[in-house]
Amino acid sequence: MQITQKEENGIVSFSIKGRLDADSAPEAEKVVKEALEGPTNRVLFNLGALEYLSSAGLRVLLSAAKEMRRRDGKIVLCSLNEFVKEIFEVSGFQSLIPIAESVESGIKVLSQH
Amino acid sequence: MGNNNSDTESILLVDDNPANLQILFQTLEGVGCKLLIAKNGQGALSIAGKALPDLILLDIMMPDIDGYEVCRQLKSNPATADIPVMFLSALVDTEDKVKGFHLGAVDYITKPFQPDEVIARVNTHLTIHRLKREVESKKDQLEHELEVVSEVQRKLLPKQLPVIDGFKLAVSYETSRYAGGDYYDIIEISENRWGFLIADAEGHSAPAAVLMAMTCALFRAYSDLPTDPAAVLHYLNKHLCKVADPSFMTALYAVYDAKRQTMRVARAGHPLPMIYRSSEKKAFEFDCPGVYPLGIEPYEIEIPVAEIKLGPGDRFLIYTDGLTERFNSDGETYGEERLLIPLATERAATPQAIIDAILGDLTNFAGGRPADDDQALLLGIVES
Repeated sequence: MQITQKEENGIVSFSIKGRLDADSAPEAEKVVKEALEGPTNRVLFNLGALEYLSSAGLRVLLSAAKEMRRRDGKIVLCSLNEFVKEIFEVSGFQSLIPIAESVESGIKVLSQH
Repeated sequence: MGNNNSDTESILLVDDNPANLQILFQTLEGVGCKLLIAKNGQGALSIAGKALPDLILLDIMMPDIDGYEVCRQLKSNPATADIPVMFLSALVDTEDKVKGFHLGAVDYITKPFQPDEVIARVNTHLTIHRLKREVESKKDQLEHELEVVSEVQRKLLPKQLPVIDGFKLAVSYETSRYAGGDYYDIIEISENRWGFLIADAEGHSAPAAVLMAMTCALFRAYSDLPTDPAAVLHYLNKHLCKVADPSFMTALYAVYDAKRQTMRVARAGHPLPMIYRSSEKKAFEFDCPGVYPLGIEPYEIEIPVAEIKLGPGDRFLIYTDGLTERFNSDGETYGEERLLIPLATERAATPQAIIDAILGDLTNFAGGRPADDDQALLLGIVES
């Protein structure tokens, strides 16, 4: 798993590549937590290169979503492949965290008032 | 020089030359440990085995058994394998030193030695050895505590499966470490109606075990007859929301009506149940709608309940994702598609035989790679 982050126009974006499972979740959790120490309230996850997601991985995304809710902020997950999308549907997480087809449409979701 | 050595610790000095032994003895007299001596390899092995010293300073060139051989024998005996060995030798070639390290020595000092250097190195190795023992003892203690948790946890599971008229059951429950987050329960609601709960706390080990135990206590304290799957999940969620953060719990609750042979299912983030239709000889996932897992936030919506009619010979499987997310050595997961195959096996007819077929297939798939998540599965077959 590789996780990178950047901040642009007030949006903190994370790109996660590879497998987000029990082994790699603590590392991703740390990166996300540190990045969210700033005052940001717009978060985007680009999951286009995410191959696999376990329940430990869902917890990382859930923690970020909860944090945004506390701040009255917004979060969006973008570009999920079919496999990851299915995990979101079966686990019911799609009703907890907004999902966008692409990074562009994700940015639009975050920019809406 | 200050150190934390104590007289309950001992150092074994091994050298065939009495003059060398005496110098070494005098050098280390002040380090605060009991000093033991051996004049040859055989003596060294015998004393090491009995006294289990905390450090051994070992000469290499000795008649009969040389220092290398003594070290090899010490390392191959489980009782003495952990004792750190320092070679003290007149052999100065890199090759000799490397050979010593390959045999498992922690250090190598060339003779003639500087007393202060020997003392400093001895203190370092005694400290490392002491810390290593402390870590091991803490680890043993933690493992013991988890074992106790695990024993308590097993007591929370149903002691035996109920006998249901016309519906035969089997179950399997394995935790990947001592304690786990999986839970299943079966409850008799009223005549011919039975409730099946399966749940999986995110993560494993002690934190997951606490959530598992909470869920068990909550479920058994449910004050109404648990006939409505949606109401049961609402109730569990309401209480788990107060304690689960930042974790959560997936769950599935199904009510079987033995008279009508129907299963009514509500699902919170949990894997879909699997059905084998005997009449069609086909297994499939029962695509029932669901809500997100328990313990995150209250459900503002109605929890959907799906009903499916079962016929003679039909199989109904509920499980936790430790099964389908089990890895093989290539990093692939077992997956739902694979699980459907042994569920549809024609070679076995009893629930236990089918569970055995599933676990056998899973073990084959994993190819020796141990499970890193807990696994629970519960199977019911409608009698023909």
